Amino acid sequence: MPPKSPLLRGEQKARFGRRDMLAGLAAAALLWPMNAARATEPVSIGLNPLFLDSDIQLLSLIQSYLAAQLGRTVQLIKRRTYQEITALLLSGQLDAAWVCDDPYVQHEDQLALLAVPLYRHEPLYQTYMIVSEGSKAQSFDDTRGTVHAFSDPDSTSGFLVTRSLLALRHTTPAQFFRTFFFTYGHRNVVRAVATGLAESGSIDGYVWDVMREREPELINKTRVVYTSEKLGFPPIVGLKSAQETTTAKAISAAFLQMPTDPLGRQILAILELDGFTTADPGLYQGTLEKWLLVKAQA
Amino acid sequence: MRVGARLANWPLAWKVPLLAAGLLIGVAFVISQTVLNRLESDQENNLRYLTSAYLDGLSTAVLRSAIHADVWETFDALDRARDRYAGLKVRFAIVALPNGKVLAASDPLKFPVQSAVPADVEGRFPTQDGLNIDTASGRAWLTRSLREEGYSVGRILAEIDISELLRVRKQVLLTLVAVNAGLALGFAIFGSLALRRMLKPLSVLSGYVERVRAGCADPIPESKRQRISREFDLLFDRFNAMARALNEREEFASRLADQEKYAVLGKLASGMAHEVNNPLGGLFNALDTLRRHGDDAEVREATLNLLERGLTHIRNVVRSTLVTYRRGGANNLLRPVDIDDLRLLIEPEASRKRLQIAWVNDLHGALPLVIESVRQVVLNLLINACAATPAGGTVHLRARATESALSIEVGDQGPGLPDDLAKYLIGHSDEAPGTGGGLGLWIVRRLVADEDGEIQVIQENGFSTVIKVTWPLRENLSRSDRAKDFVGMEAVHAE
Repeated sequence: MPPKSPLLRGEQKARFGRRDMLAGLAAAALLWPMNAARATEPVSIGLNPLFLDSDIQLLSLIQSYLAAQLGRTVQLIKRRTYQEITALLLSGQLDAAWVCDDPYVQHEDQLALLAVPLYRHEPLYQTYMIVSEGSKAQSFDDTRGTVHAFSDPDSTSGFLVTRSLLALRHTTPAQFFRTFFFTYGHRNVVRAVATGLAESGSIDGYVWDVMREREPELINKTRVVYTSEKLGFPPIVGLKSAQETTTAKAISAAFLQMPTDPLGRQILAILELDGFTTADPGLYQGTLEKWLLVKAQA
Repeated sequence: MRVGARLANWPLAWKVPLLAAGLLIGVAFVISQTVLNRLESDQENNLRYLTSAYLDGLSTAVLRSAIHADVWETFDALDRARDRYAGLKVRFAIVALPNGKVLAASDPLKFPVQSAVPADVEGRFPTQDGLNIDTASGRAWLTRSLREEGYSVGRILAEIDISELLRVRKQVLLTLVAVNAGLALGFAIFGSLALRRMLKPLSVLSGYVERVRAGCADPIPESKRQRISREFDLLFDRFNAMARALNEREEFASRLADQEKYAVLGKLASGMAHEVNNPLGGLFNALDTLRRHGDDAEVREATLNLLERGLTHIRNVVRSTLVTYRRGGANNLLRPVDIDDLRLLIEPEASRKRLQIAWVNDLHGALPLVIESVRQVVLNLLINACAATPAGGTVHLRARATESALSIEVGDQGPGLPDDLAKYLIGHSDEAPGTGGGLGLWIVRRLVADEDGEIQVIQENGFSTVIKVTWPLRENLSRSDRAKDFVGMEAVHAE
């Protein structure tokens, strides 16, 4: 039996009230002299290569926006794998990180939700199984025996969902697929399938949808054969131990206020998100169940 | 051989420019070959340099991924390297694991992940690190081992499209061919025109030499000697000197022929005097007989007959001489009697040597020929025949005519005509006959040639030498002209 987690209490509605924000700001003002020395240090925020990992402009905009909101220098930290970002965050080297929901549920006891993106007005997304355009596969099970591209071993949509579906079939990727590999990026999964390097791939549905508008020539070479149920969107998290610090609260506020700022709106437009909201851990119940299922099989 | 002979006959104005063009083409071929070889070598070096740079970059990029057998990173490196090397068209690149399986390829559809590298593809690549070039297909294949701490972790196999290099090479070749062909053609045309201009005096000279052959040795006039090179000037001088010498010789020969005619005449004069003198005694006797016995009708008739025969003989001898040596105004119709007359002229000499004359004249009617020329030829031959035949021998003459020609044979029983004289006579030799031949044969040859006749020297049974002369009948005389001439001639004979 998996350990009992607060998440298992059920999905709760994400909310972030004006009162909370004001309280945060008041606390920040009170703590200002105490934190004056720390204020000179840059704020470190980790970003997983969720999407558009090569978009330098987007990173630059996020950095500018957060720096303006926080009144401090902001350092955006990127790593190749999810695991590296998670390790940095857990070891206290990052003030916050935008992580996948899988690492969050794995370390839910140590991590606090600071903000959750709103995609199509809800903090949810889906996992897609894609195949190359010319493939004969019509369903998830038709992908048996193909060369499969995963995104990241710690990605929900890029690994966990497919892995859990296989667990339900009492099989593993090594048994189900002819061979598989990790691309460490959802866009790379699309490239791998589009070029024929892989015959099938597991991908974040949000990324695939955004890419369909921006890179149709690449997306048109792929086709979705499986759509998962909706799961909690990858959140911005901080250490639970630092949850009440001014920095954590300021970071949370900066994300939540993004729709009210012109630069913030520009960022949201690029990301095709509606904004950010607060949520309780119950939002990630579905992800947790899948993780537990896979863990049990392992 | 026949082609060579035909080429040798080509005019110089063609041969020299063609030779120059040929040489130019030869030189151009060698230069083109050198340029192409150099280009090929440079291109190959350049290709080696480029592929080496490409492989250096790629092997660095994929080494770590190959060690970790990381499919995506390997593919990503191959994919990014595809367009990164300007001037190098990579058709596909494969990173193969030591077990021969594909880790990743730039063209995954052709070389899927984990599939074995196809044997036919593998066979095109060098087994060691290096480069294989195939100009026929326009492809090159590269192999580079991936090694870490002395251990092989895989190989990079890349196929390069070198058709652009080959296209450049072909373009250079075409340019060289076009330029060289243009130059060769230009030189050939220019050379031909220049040489033709330079050789123009030669064609002038050739024209004048041709006129000499036709019997007209004119010197080259000053007007045709303008702006010619010194060599041709000298050549023209020599030609003119030769033409003058020929003209002098011709004039001399003509004078000599006349002299010979008169020499023959002198020789015959004594014979003729004798011939006239012989009947004269008889005629005077006849006159005396008439004076004394003229009253007797029978005696008178017999004496008058005798007188008539004697005078007729004298008249015939004189007339024959007149016809042969009459100057100017050629008679154009030869009658049988014109040949028979000659017998009268030769008879004194024949009787002196007690020679028999076998005379066969088969001619009937007049023939369109120059009487003077024919008679002089035959007379000369008869005199020579009489001279050659020993006393008591026989000289023979046979005259025949066909539709187109007259032929007269004169035979003797002498010791035979010497070879050099015979050859000279029939025109096989231009060597003037030495002593003994006499001027007679020289004149015979010349007169026969003037009338386009032909001389044959043959042996006949009973005669040591037979000389046969054939004259073609002159076609340009119409029948009416022939009839007129004939009437004229009759009138002369009637005088």
